[in-house]
Amino acid sequence: MADSYSEGRTGDGEYQEQFLNDKTLRRLGAAVAGLFTLAVGGFIAAIIFTQVDFELFVEIIHPQFVNAFLRVLGIVLLGSLLSVTAGIFVGLGRVSNTRFTNTVATAYVEFFRGTPLLFQLLVIFVGIPAFWPPGQFPISNWQYPTAIIGLTLNHAAYVGEAVRGGIDAVPEGQMEAARSLGMSYVQGMREVVLPQAWRNALAAIGNDQVILVKDTSLLTVIAIPELISAFRNVNSTTFDPWTPIILVAIAYLMITIPLGKIVNHLEARADWGGDRR
Amino acid sequence: MSLLEFDEVDKYFGETHVLKDVDLNVEEGEVCVIIGPSGSGKSTLLRCANRLEEIQGGEIRLEGQSISAADADINRLRQRIGMVFQSFNLFPHKTARENVTLAPTKVKGLKEGDAERRADELLDRVGLGAQSNSYPNQLSGGQQQRVAIARALAMDPHVMLFDEVTSALDPELVGEVLDVMHDLAEEGMTMLVVTHEMGFAREVGDRIVLMADGKVVEDSPPEVFFENPKTDRGKQFLSKLL
Ligand SMILES: Nc1ncnc2c1ncn2[C@@H]1O[C@H](COP(=O)(O)OP(=O)(O)OP(=O)(O)O)[C@@H](O)[C@H]1O
Ligand SMILES: [Mg+2]
Repeated sequence: MADSYSEGRTGDGEYQEQFLNDKTLRRLGAAVAGLFTLAVGGFIAAIIFTQVDFELFVEIIHPQFVNAFLRVLGIVLLGSLLSVTAGIFVGLGRVSNTRFTNTVATAYVEFFRGTPLLFQLLVIFVGIPAFWPPGQFPISNWQYPTAIIGLTLNHAAYVGEAVRGGIDAVPEGQMEAARSLGMSYVQGMREVVLPQAWRNALAAIGNDQVILVKDTSLLTVIAIPELISAFRNVNSTTFDPWTPIILVAIAYLMITIPLGKIVNHLEARADWGGDRR
Repeated sequence: MSLLEFDEVDKYFGETHVLKDVDLNVEEGEVCVIIGPSGSGKSTLLRCANRLEEIQGGEIRLEGQSISAADADINRLRQRIGMVFQSFNLFPHKTARENVTLAPTKVKGLKEGDAERRADELLDRVGLGAQSNSYPNQLSGGQQQRVAIARALAMDPHVMLFDEVTSALDPELVGEVLDVMHDLAEEGMTMLVVTHEMGFAREVGDRIVLMADGKVVEDSPPEVFFENPKTDRGKQFLSKLL
């Protein structure tokens, strides 16, 4: 295409043809990517061979990092399940024709997207127990319920917006077809609109859930021994930064990379006979 | 009592008066073809007939029961009114067969197996017996529209509404859809058909209803309408066709 397009041109056109055609661009891209890989790969190799203390690595991996990893994984699994479920209802509220429902859902999203998660965690962590007289708060280890509630409330707002976008992208004719067959609004939503909205929203929901994983790093502030806490622990006693940094990176990637794969798999499954619309 | 009755129906979109005092009775077994210039209110009339649009005056009745009343059981009434849209509106996440079985199982509580047998029968009838496991985007426009007709028939409607169901199709695919509608008419289905296909209107229609500016301006048998229209609007419309 590029060749025939620039055919018959003179001056600047020919100049571009020679120096910026598709092939050179592709080669340039590959060269930049290659250099980048070399630089990063070299850097990581240098760190591993000069900075990482393998004895320490083995010593801290178990139980400290394994426990932190499992704790984060558990919080992520529960937070994901709850925030996606709640988010679907937030999204439904956002598209509701009932003024009241719509306003409440909008206010919810505005608040939870408009304030930092860290602030929300603190409100729950120190604000709620303040309703009881000092020392009387009945729930021990309140930091864990705080983590789940905070992550769920916060990410339900983002998932809700993704779901709303997904529903908006479903043509109106779909609900009309469902209704004209005698289905109720709820049946039309459940059987026809939501499955399509879900596919439309999957990528955005997946992005948000990756952020949820990374947001668990904030839980160090409410004294949950997660991965960042584990790093600080090791670093402050051994003064070795790189050994625990490498472990933290591995641990997060062990969650976020499979999560991306799961989202890809779900997207591929919702293919419905080939070519996406 | 006619099967479907429009009784002094008024419809507004905001300030625009789209249906003006429309009276129209469709008898059982009749094929009533509605024609008219763009914007005359044909689609709106059809959409009011199954309450996809609300009316502001008059009444619409199916077999004597009000469709437009505030307390009408619309989900129940709609089961007796099949609708086929210009843009098919098939459910893309469901196969042809699933498109047809969805409403019978969810709305009528039909058993999965029974609904599937019936769906295959209907798909056979519209010439798509071999495509029942295909998804809509694996089908041509003409095939999709025939699935949409089968889907509407699966609810055993007493009347079928067709809104320019061939307008979105490539010319070579129009015939296969019109053939299915022709067969339906011959089997005695009551049909209210908006179309620009004058050949079809003439051959299959029992009545031609001409709409203009939200009003019914002529209502004649096809041989009268196409040979010697009763009204000036009818004559005008015909002269523009040629
Ligand atoms: N949702 C809507 N909101 C506002 N106005 C509308 C809406 N739908 C239709 N109208 C207006 O109502 C009038 C009748 O429209 P309608 O679609 O019923 O015409 P039609 O006879 O079906 O035309 P066509 O042959 O182009 O399909 C038009 O003036 C149109 O602009
Ligand atoms: Mg129309």
